[in-house]
Amino acid sequence: MKKATGFLTYMSVGLKDLFWVMTNELRHIFRDRGVMLIFFVAGVAYPLLYNGIYNNEAIYEIPVAVVDQSSSPESRDFLRKFNAAQEVRISNRCLSMEEAKALFTDGKVHGIVYIPSDYHLKLARLEQATISIYNDMSSFLYYKGLMMATNYTMLDQLRSIQIKRYNAAGIGGEQAEQLVEAIPGNDVGFYNPGGGFASFLLPALLILIIHQTLFFGIGMLAGTAREESRTHSSIPEHLHGRGIYRVVIGKALAYFLLYIPITAYIVGFIPKFFNLPHIGEIGTLFSFMIPFLLAAIFFSMTVSVFVKNRETGLIAFLFFTLILLFLSGFSWPVQNMPEIWRWVSYLFPSTHGVQGYIKINSGGATLSQVRFEYVQLWLQAAFYLIAASVSLNLVVKREKRAIQQ
Amino acid sequence: MRLSQLKSVLKRELRMMFGRPIYLFSTVFVVAFGYLFFLTLINEGLPERLPVAVVDSDNSAISRRLARELNTTPMTQVVAGCTNFAEARDLMQRGEIYGFIDIPRDFYKELLAGKRPEISFYVNNAYLIAGTLSYKDMLTMSTLASSAYQREVLRAKGMDDEAIMGRIQPIVIDTHQIGNPWANYGVYLINVLMPGVLQLVILLMTVYCIGVELKTKSSREWMKESGDSLAVALTGKLLPYSVMFIILGIAGNVLLYKFAGFPMQGSLLRFSASTVLFVLAHQAIGILMIGLFPVLRDAISFAALYGILSFTYAGFTFPIEAMPPLAQGASVLFPIRHYFHIYVNEALLGAPFVNSALSVAAMLIFLALPVIVSKRLKKALINQNYPIK
Repeated sequence: MKKATGFLTYMSVGLKDLFWVMTNELRHIFRDRGVMLIFFVAGVAYPLLYNGIYNNEAIYEIPVAVVDQSSSPESRDFLRKFNAAQEVRISNRCLSMEEAKALFTDGKVHGIVYIPSDYHLKLARLEQATISIYNDMSSFLYYKGLMMATNYTMLDQLRSIQIKRYNAAGIGGEQAEQLVEAIPGNDVGFYNPGGGFASFLLPALLILIIHQTLFFGIGMLAGTAREESRTHSSIPEHLHGRGIYRVVIGKALAYFLLYIPITAYIVGFIPKFFNLPHIGEIGTLFSFMIPFLLAAIFFSMTVSVFVKNRETGLIAFLFFTLILLFLSGFSWPVQNMPEIWRWVSYLFPSTHGVQGYIKINSGGATLSQVRFEYVQLWLQAAFYLIAASVSLNLVVKREKRAIQQ
Repeated sequence: MRLSQLKSVLKRELRMMFGRPIYLFSTVFVVAFGYLFFLTLINEGLPERLPVAVVDSDNSAISRRLARELNTTPMTQVVAGCTNFAEARDLMQRGEIYGFIDIPRDFYKELLAGKRPEISFYVNNAYLIAGTLSYKDMLTMSTLASSAYQREVLRAKGMDDEAIMGRIQPIVIDTHQIGNPWANYGVYLINVLMPGVLQLVILLMTVYCIGVELKTKSSREWMKESGDSLAVALTGKLLPYSVMFIILGIAGNVLLYKFAGFPMQGSLLRFSASTVLFVLAHQAIGILMIGLFPVLRDAISFAALYGILSFTYAGFTFPIEAMPPLAQGASVLFPIRHYFHIYVNEALLGAPFVNSALSVAAMLIFLALPVIVSKRLKKALINQNYPIK
């Protein structure tokens, strides 16, 4: 009986402390212009900004120079078809390769198509004719666009030339069709049908925005608290350095509450509004974001223990945003990363957050299909909760000792 | 007289630099780590063994051969054989494969009967790079399979191999990838990511090392030491960083173009000269920012925003001209955009210097920016009349 009341008192005091820490932290947040800027303005504005910039998804009508030395009906037919492809546009017709190369070097065109003078002759002799293309490799999208357009045109021309030839050889109808393409391919792009750039980049960026605004905001709060507080500790004084868990969980609760609407806006509203992929189920998304937020919050709190000043977090770790983006494996595939970086990437909530979010949001995965990420995030949340508490405890003890001396 | 003042400011700054870990950590360590990270992360250049799957509902000699052929293509690796479409789709949603091919039932029978059975490819374009590349390999496999079949039929008709090639593939495309003949993915990214990290660090550090004087109210002492000349004060303060960042920048160039074997068609020396300009331009922008907002935390936030946007505005992944007009115009405000032009001209194209002249001139303009805020900054440093938090 006595034990039970003891436990109840312990609980009620604990909850009261928790509530006090939480409201106190919220008060600090709303009074701090810098933190508000990171949490609310950056959280709201960045998704809008990036959507604005990448709104067009792809590049169309890349200017290309052509040098047609064959100038035959065959070569003209090729170029007509080529010009019709949406990726490219023939902007210059040059008489010589030198002229085209000059345009290329000046950056006026991003590719050259060269048709040699024997093109039609070789076709007439039933030999292999060659067309040369020169790619601007300064951007993956130029390269991809020109390659796609030439390949489509070539395949199309191939077909009509072959059919003509088989007909001439006395093979006609169905049989010629079969010879030209015995095994037709049918390709389906899943989850990002247009192969758009925004649909590929933004889901990863959105998760990173949540992760990094939390990280820098919490770092700034911790740095400020240390600058202002007389004892240089981030522990409220009435707890006398005890009840570390109450402090850590209470603060985390404050961030969590604030980030529910922010997260809903970023992962729920933004993809719908800008027509990015959003085939994930809301319930699944919601269940997945809970461990992600908790892991990101406790991770940020763990690191923030080492932040001594208001600005140092941003200065020392801003570049890490980029590292985290690439570690998440949204671009350079996870399977091709060196083993060591893959292990390092498992330390950060952003990695699993990005992977899980892309799978759910863009691929329509269920929670059981992202079990790995989901479990990892809970493990991280637990690990970083303990890590944050332990390191905070150490700092507090060290500072106490320093004061006593 | 001036020289001795410069010396004492310089000494004072060096003492600060080595006095706290933040200075060297967020410059030398960060940049070196960034270089190391990107060079090792993308060390393969082109992905190998992208996982894909095969749904073989036919299970005939030829369908098994198709699966084997897909395995021999350079970038993909068949990691799973699935019995039906649903199973492969599940693997794709789990992210375990980037694509799969679906060979229908009775594929072999229909092929023999001349009914042109279809193979379907499915790729996950949510991962654009992995999806595009695995699609390329699947397409190669199917074209090869189709022409192998064609060749056999024509041989049976008594044609010789040369005539067959002319028939199977009347046109070939001969591709020249200017400046990056291997279409190496690392070349696309690392050449810009490394200067990207550098500019981020320069901006933040420039703003910080000036702003911290305001924050700790030590700016008057700093100005006194420099004989109340802003030019001396800034030169003495920023010179050690200029030297450090120029060394880091050029070390990056040497690392990429001498050791990692990245293409450099033009002159490494000329390109490194533009690296010097790149460093100084960002220091100038840093001065502008702290001059406009003489409050450390505001200037830092602004520098962070601008530095992160720089990556977008280099225009290396997504070309500037594909952006909406309003967003396009802003690109000239970022030195990295001009630096990227110079890089393309020197490294990829080997173009004459004239082509880069405009970009060099643009970078020089950035150097004049501190003049705009010099009065405002000096006042702030002496009066310390801005909030410190």
